[in-house]
Amino acid sequence: MRPRPFNLLAIVCTVCVVLVVLLAFHSAGPVNAPYATYVERPVEETGATNRVASIYLNYRLYDSLLEILVFFVAVLGVRFYLGVRERPDVPPLAESEVVRTSAALLFPIAVLLGVYLAALGQISPGGGFGAGVIAASGLLLTSIALGIDAIDRRIQRNAIERIERGALVVLLLLVLLPLPLGHPAFTDLLPKGSPGMVLSGGSIPLYNVLIALKVVTGSWLILRSFVRHRGEI
Amino acid sequence: MIARTAILALLPIVAVIALSQRRRLTAIIGMGLFSFLLAVAYLLLHAPDVALTEATIGLGLITAIYVLAIRRTGRLAVVADEAPGLFAREGDRIVGLEHEILERFARHLGLDLSVQLVPHRDVADLVRSGEADVGTGGWVRGEEAGVLVTQAHLDTALFTVGGGKGESFEDLPRVRYEGYFADLDPQSLYTAEASVTLDLARLLAVRRSDVPDAFVTRHPQTRGYAFVVNERRRDLHSALDAYIEGLRETGELDRLTRRFLA
Repeated sequence: MRPRPFNLLAIVCTVCVVLVVLLAFHSAGPVNAPYATYVERPVEETGATNRVASIYLNYRLYDSLLEILVFFVAVLGVRFYLGVRERPDVPPLAESEVVRTSAALLFPIAVLLGVYLAALGQISPGGGFGAGVIAASGLLLTSIALGIDAIDRRIQRNAIERIERGALVVLLLLVLLPLPLGHPAFTDLLPKGSPGMVLSGGSIPLYNVLIALKVVTGSWLILRSFVRHRGEI
Repeated sequence: MIARTAILALLPIVAVIALSQRRRLTAIIGMGLFSFLLAVAYLLLHAPDVALTEATIGLGLITAIYVLAIRRTGRLAVVADEAPGLFAREGDRIVGLEHEILERFARHLGLDLSVQLVPHRDVADLVRSGEADVGTGGWVRGEEAGVLVTQAHLDTALFTVGGGKGESFEDLPRVRYEGYFADLDPQSLYTAEASVTLDLARLLAVRRSDVPDAFVTRHPQTRGYAFVVNERRRDLHSALDAYIEGLRETGELDRLTRRFLA
């Protein structure tokens, strides 16, 4: 990437998040309640049987949003400092057939596990962060086996960058959407569904999938920058 | 309850063991083990979400990145040609004085030794290009420019062997021997016009295959075996030099020499 010191999108995002947080503190009532009270509340309030998910993606969504922003800044920083001198060709490691075969076997499993954890984070342990890291590990394994050029040929870097930023923008829009509709920011507008079902938990599955997309693309961009910068995997 | 207590008690022990490892790969595996135990502890504390994240990030991603990171820095890459007694194959192992010194030096730095046997003429090139950290295998001081040479760890001399035409020493190239030592056929030296200049260790190995003495002439100057290091790796060069000096001062170098070359 050609380094762009003042990435307009980053500035817009940062300003948006600061505004969101300020608005949230102003408008939302119960966000400052202690954690114990969240656990005592009825499951129907969020629709998520996974109480951890119901806290960090509903009651304390702004915590998670700031976490995502931290990650976004980390990706931006790595790419800014390491994107200066990229090497065009990175030779693949001379790995054995064993590594190639096991990578081919494990990659679909990693992706499947990622999708599963992201999609069912509202009813079972999991969530977008872990799901994204698992899928990114699958990509790392594949790049060890086949070389980073092979992955760059299959997945366009521009597409990954767009997903990485797009996920953040969509997340910001989602948490801001209640404002024009007359609700406090961070309000969950979707129907809660019946707890324990796949389609339950209101916006929680949506947030999980967006976070997973953000984490897998961001992690891959960081790994890719490291590899391109040092010229070998 | 007992399992939880046992794992919680194990955690600091594993952490200390992992952090006190000199060898980097062992340390990384120790850290992975620590993450695994921590994930189990989280699971027993009824926090499967945290356990999952700890397992994927601590045990999976971080371990993979560390292993990739030490691929280049975690090993001491040595290129050498065989030299009997100094650096030679024995079955599927490599033994010899120089190999022993380098193995101890690598352990001293917390690195893994990775050895590649190459023809003698390629040793300097590979070190110069940075593909290898150290070149050795019966390397005689003064053979090549463009590399840093350590102090000699063993005295030697050069000998010219072969049915040549009685050249004077001034006419002789310093070392004509270039390829794999294993490819050197002693018998060919006494029939053809070819001659080859060898160092002492290789000469002794060649003479074992019954060669007439008449064909051997000694270069008058006393030389020394040494290691070569890339010119930009001054830190590595001085570290190795100091390490050899240390071996010499403690008398360990003499013991090793007797062990491998007696």
